[in-house]
Amino acid sequence: MRILEAIIGAFSSIGRFGIFSFRFLKVMFRHRPPIRRTLNEAYRIGVLSLPVLLTIAAFVGTNLTMQGYHAFKPMGGERMVGMFVGLAGVRELAPIIAAAMIAAKVGTEMASEIAVMRIREEIDALSVMAVNPYWYLVTPRILATILVLPALTILSIYGMLVASYMVAVYQLGLNGQEFIEFLQRGATVTDLAYGAMKSIVFGIIICLVSCYCGFNSKPGPRGVGSATNSAVVTSAVVCVMVNYIISELVYGR
Amino acid sequence: MTLLSKIGHFGRFATGILRRFATFQWSVNETLHHLSQTLFRCILPVIAVVMPFGMVIALQGLEVFHMFGAERLLASLASVAIIRELSPVLASVLVAAQGGSANAAELGSMAIEEELAATEVMGLDPIAIHVVPRVLAMTVACPLLNVAGTTAGIAGSFFTAVYIKGENAGIFIDQLWQYTTPFDITAAFIKTTIFGLIIGLVSTYLGYYAKGGAAGVGRAVNATVVNSILIFIAANYLLTSAMFGVIS
Repeated sequence: MRILEAIIGAFSSIGRFGIFSFRFLKVMFRHRPPIRRTLNEAYRIGVLSLPVLLTIAAFVGTNLTMQGYHAFKPMGGERMVGMFVGLAGVRELAPIIAAAMIAAKVGTEMASEIAVMRIREEIDALSVMAVNPYWYLVTPRILATILVLPALTILSIYGMLVASYMVAVYQLGLNGQEFIEFLQRGATVTDLAYGAMKSIVFGIIICLVSCYCGFNSKPGPRGVGSATNSAVVTSAVVCVMVNYIISELVYGR
Repeated sequence: MTLLSKIGHFGRFATGILRRFATFQWSVNETLHHLSQTLFRCILPVIAVVMPFGMVIALQGLEVFHMFGAERLLASLASVAIIRELSPVLASVLVAAQGGSANAAELGSMAIEEELAATEVMGLDPIAIHVVPRVLAMTVACPLLNVAGTTAGIAGSFFTAVYIKGENAGIFIDQLWQYTTPFDITAAFIKTTIFGLIIGLVSTYLGYYAKGGAAGVGRAVNATVVNSILIFIAANYLLTSAMFGVIS
């Protein structure tokens, strides 16, 4: 019986999420977005999370390079490292890690802020003042993420590439020119564009899920904690699953 | 300056946990309870993230190996990539996002509602009761969840390669252990144990010292996820360097 209840609960929360997104979309296309708030959010999302994102991307690059080097060495293919970094890093790992970090940094912030506003009844106050809370809280966040996340993803791809070049050349002693030549065989500018497009999808998912979790927070500190918790996990899981579908569509052919 | 004093404070917290662990001021039952909770909470997210990633690896790997006509190498690539690197990192990211943030949320709300202070007033040691079991459970749970993640990832790439792309199942299974050594599995085990320790310490530290009402709990959860992922990915680089230094 408990399993049945859990399954029904999961489906009903999917339905509630659908209603939430529908209401939000209705508001988003009907009213002019709050531009100043959008820019503020874009600054917060873009500039303030850039250092964290770049650090993580750099360490992902270093590890990818070392693993690739030691995997190809037994076959005598050290030169393939560049191609490996291009394929695995630029196409898949960097965009998805950037999305996961955005979910961890920005998504949790959104969820906890909105959850705190919910439990202090500030959202009800907004409605009472005839300000649509979806318009005021969700629209600027979504627009800001769509604006900023492609740039963040491309920057973190470059951060990853710089780090892996440094490891390849200075730690492992490979030829830098060769590394770049093979890198260009593994990944092209088109892949960067795909990464940026993917990141827009991830950004929309992260924002909607985090705002939904915040809006439906339970009262008390515990409620805020668990809303924040489920925001980051749900958005990360959904992003990775959507990533597979996008990869299948783009590269699967 | 504040950063340095924070690091020192964290160090004192960590040594306090170590001292209580070494002098057996913790209950086995409580640890097992937190362990089962962590495993139960994290297992689905870990599988749901590593499995699609294994499928993506099969997809991209097949496209590359297709150029050289070496599709048979796919299974070795998948097993090396997933066992050595992807599953430990992704599983730990999810453990930080789910288990670590749950720890921080629970301890944070206990701190805000002054339950930790109440424990202390009753003459009990809040760190020994609430913190040490959580850290231990996280340290044990992370490698176990990594095993689940690895299995799911390899199963995912098998599924894509065999059922969607139509590769030969026998060749896939035969090639699976071609380049993977027992050392890789041990290394992944050690790595994830250390990641689990990092996640446990960071999450309990930030939760234990949460301040400022319900918003403080949200901030603690946010900081837990970001900081623990940052620290263990940096540690991952050092550990990987050290382990390849051991081999060669």
